[in-house]
Amino acid sequence: MRQLLIDIFSFGDRPRFEKIGFLIFILIVFIFPWIVTSAYGRAVMIKFLLFALFGLGWNLIGGYGGQVDLGQAKNVGFGAYATALMIVWWKIPFWVTIPVGVFFAVLESFAVAYPMFRLKGHYFAIATLCVALVWKELFIFWDWTGGARGVEIPIRTGVDFAYMQFNSAIYYHYFILFLFLTQLLFMNWFRKSKMGYWVQAVRDNEEAAASLGINVTNTKVKAYCIAAALGAVGGSFMAVYYLYIDPDAVMPLDLSILIAMTVMVGGAGSIWGPIIGAAILIPLDMYLGAWLGAQKRLGIDFMIYAMIMMVIAAKEPRGIWGIIERVRKKRSR
Amino acid sequence: MELTVQLLVYGILMGLVFALIALGLSLIFGVMNIVNFAHGEFMMVGMYIAYLLSTYLPLDPLLSLPFAAGAGYLLGIVSYRLLIHHILRGPMVAQLFGTFGLMLFLRYLAMYIFTPDVRSIKEGILVGKTLSMGWINVDASKVFSAGVCLLAFAVIYWMIYRTKLGRALRATSIDSEAAKYMGIDTKGMNALAWGIGGATVALAGALLAHFYYVTPTVGMLFTLIAFATVALGGFGSIVGAFIAGIVIGLIMVISGQFVSELKFSFIYIVYFLVVVFRPRGLFGW
Amino acid sequence: MMLEVKNLVKEFGGLVANADISFELQQGEVLGLIGPNGAGKSTLFNCIAGYYKPTGGQILFEGKEITGWPSHLVAREGIARTFQGMKIMANLTVGENVMIGAFCRTGDRRIALKEAGEILDLMGLDGETEAYPAELPIASQKRIELARAIATKPKLLMLDEMAAGLNPLETKEIIQILQRIKEQRQLTLFLTEHVMEFVMTVSQRVIVMSAGQKITEGPPAEVARQEKVIEAYLGERYAKGR
Repeated sequence: MRQLLIDIFSFGDRPRFEKIGFLIFILIVFIFPWIVTSAYGRAVMIKFLLFALFGLGWNLIGGYGGQVDLGQAKNVGFGAYATALMIVWWKIPFWVTIPVGVFFAVLESFAVAYPMFRLKGHYFAIATLCVALVWKELFIFWDWTGGARGVEIPIRTGVDFAYMQFNSAIYYHYFILFLFLTQLLFMNWFRKSKMGYWVQAVRDNEEAAASLGINVTNTKVKAYCIAAALGAVGGSFMAVYYLYIDPDAVMPLDLSILIAMTVMVGGAGSIWGPIIGAAILIPLDMYLGAWLGAQKRLGIDFMIYAMIMMVIAAKEPRGIWGIIERVRKKRSR
Repeated sequence: MELTVQLLVYGILMGLVFALIALGLSLIFGVMNIVNFAHGEFMMVGMYIAYLLSTYLPLDPLLSLPFAAGAGYLLGIVSYRLLIHHILRGPMVAQLFGTFGLMLFLRYLAMYIFTPDVRSIKEGILVGKTLSMGWINVDASKVFSAGVCLLAFAVIYWMIYRTKLGRALRATSIDSEAAKYMGIDTKGMNALAWGIGGATVALAGALLAHFYYVTPTVGMLFTLIAFATVALGGFGSIVGAFIAGIVIGLIMVISGQFVSELKFSFIYIVYFLVVVFRPRGLFGW
Repeated sequence: MMLEVKNLVKEFGGLVANADISFELQQGEVLGLIGPNGAGKSTLFNCIAGYYKPTGGQILFEGKEITGWPSHLVAREGIARTFQGMKIMANLTVGENVMIGAFCRTGDRRIALKEAGEILDLMGLDGETEAYPAELPIASQKRIELARAIATKPKLLMLDEMAAGLNPLETKEIIQILQRIKEQRQLTLFLTEHVMEFVMTVSQRVIVMSAGQKITEGPPAEVARQEKVIEAYLGERYAKGR
């Protein structure tokens, strides 16, 4: 038990500058809403934490697992819809809806994972994309999910911890920070666990992994399902934060791409990668969105994303974390 | 009965356009084993060229076809030289994200220039005309497009299987290392594949613009249709792409008749089932 | 009996890579498998290790039938292997590579870490735990693969072309390491090589394969003198003209 706690909370195996950097980061996000009081600034911070959380989940399958999943948005959608629909239909408290969303995301992922993991590389990536798009079309098509109109959660006044609805962004800030930290600590445990190493072994060499007693397909399926669960939690948050969801908001292809991209930009397969990626892309996105919105010119934000993406792909596939590691290696020599 | 025949005819006509769209994707994949996510955006560029030339110049949209093909060719070559060439050696993830980046770039460049407004070509010899053959009515533009697609397919097929250049291209696709030692300029062949891919898909786009709306985001859907087509026909197979295009056209038109909201889902499902259960495609070996 | 192979057949679309191969391997023995290129050695290896499903025949490990088992189950049963073209996990450190091997028998990271450390010590790689495999020379990479296989605590260790690409000094070192480990961990070894020297010095008994057939078996010195072995290696004409 004690050792499990150490594995979850300890970053002891990381170099000193990482620990210091992490402490500074935690300090900043903790005091942030007391320093920045503008609604806009706080919204940027919340969106950053949300995408950092999404990145953590995707990193498990896409970074550690090396399986390029372009359909993470479907899991976000499952989480968001489970929460929104249960609150609207039966007035079920938020915290009960989280495991339900996770359950459906895992169930669906498990069902499609076995055929899907007969595929590799591009074939797999396109298949994930197709599956996610089919779900999105179904959610638009179905009437009982609200169709294209989406679902609106009735507004509650004041501060409600059962339904997680608040009249101040500060609450949402600590709420998403809490969810983010739990996933970060989970990933901290995961990367050191047997499962974590197995996933990486499979990524690096499937035949070698099998020769060491690792069931390759099972390992991939598990990683895929865990990543789905992590994504669904973020979806549940989106439902109570935005109070209105539709398939275009919680299940679009753009969301899947943005999630994958945060991790790629930050550095896939490293614990800090998703955080770094989200810290760069989300403020950029919000800033550009605000600036361009005023200009009524759409598209520049994504054009800049696209450039970053192409440069990273051509020059440093391991992302910004890859650059940091390389600089550090050079210095230590 | 009439409806059925009408649907079949539409399916085949659409299918021929799909086949031409898929041709370039299959060719590029065959030659260098890379999947181009920006394929539909190349097509979108062709659509906008047809739209611009016919709307702002006193040209018939038909005359825009060679311009679209030329622009597509250039776009393909430039993309290869500036981007693809650099990511070809990288890990698969980098390749995926590289072409994904290209897709986003083109898409949002179009968004920036043209705004998200939906546009369509309003005037042209074929636009809005209907051909009546007995009791079947078909759009003149669709018939013409299908004809051009057939012709383009025949030209590309001839080029690849009957000319020296085509032989070099095929050699590169079978074993690029060996082809290099035989003195074939494999980089040039890669660029050529991208050029042909761009030209054919942009041509298809200019044809499609005659009867389909033009928006900056139109590409993704056609990229996915092309993926499904190529998977069904067998990655890298040209004849496969042709037949699979028609099959996909029929599936889409027929399923659209029953549940029109889900007609694209059927195509995604076809892709999924084919790659999982018959990864060689229906006509692969 | 550690390993029994009975009438093993493996065909690839009509091409017979292994035709009716039978042999036995005793507990604690060192068995070599030799033969010219294309004799079917690797195919035989891969059939035992679960990479190929045999077309016919039986494989028994400690009396238990493991014919056609997938490789991860074969590994858990106690058969470890190294690969001819090395398959090292390039994005993980040397220590982590070996640790993953140790995870075959334990779920506890601390135990796995400790075992990996011990094995790396034994291999003379203790200074390189934090390094990435690609930063080390080929000889060290071969040792990492060996260390990783040993970390799974096998009873039978199969080495595929261990000496390929090594110079004589490095080969000697790896032979010493192998002998030390074999004693310490009571391993049974099954190795294939087309460089004769390595097999001949290490093995107690060798099997000779040629064109998919087992042509003979026996003590190394005896086998090396046999006409048909020389024929297989040097070609018929050379043997007759001698």
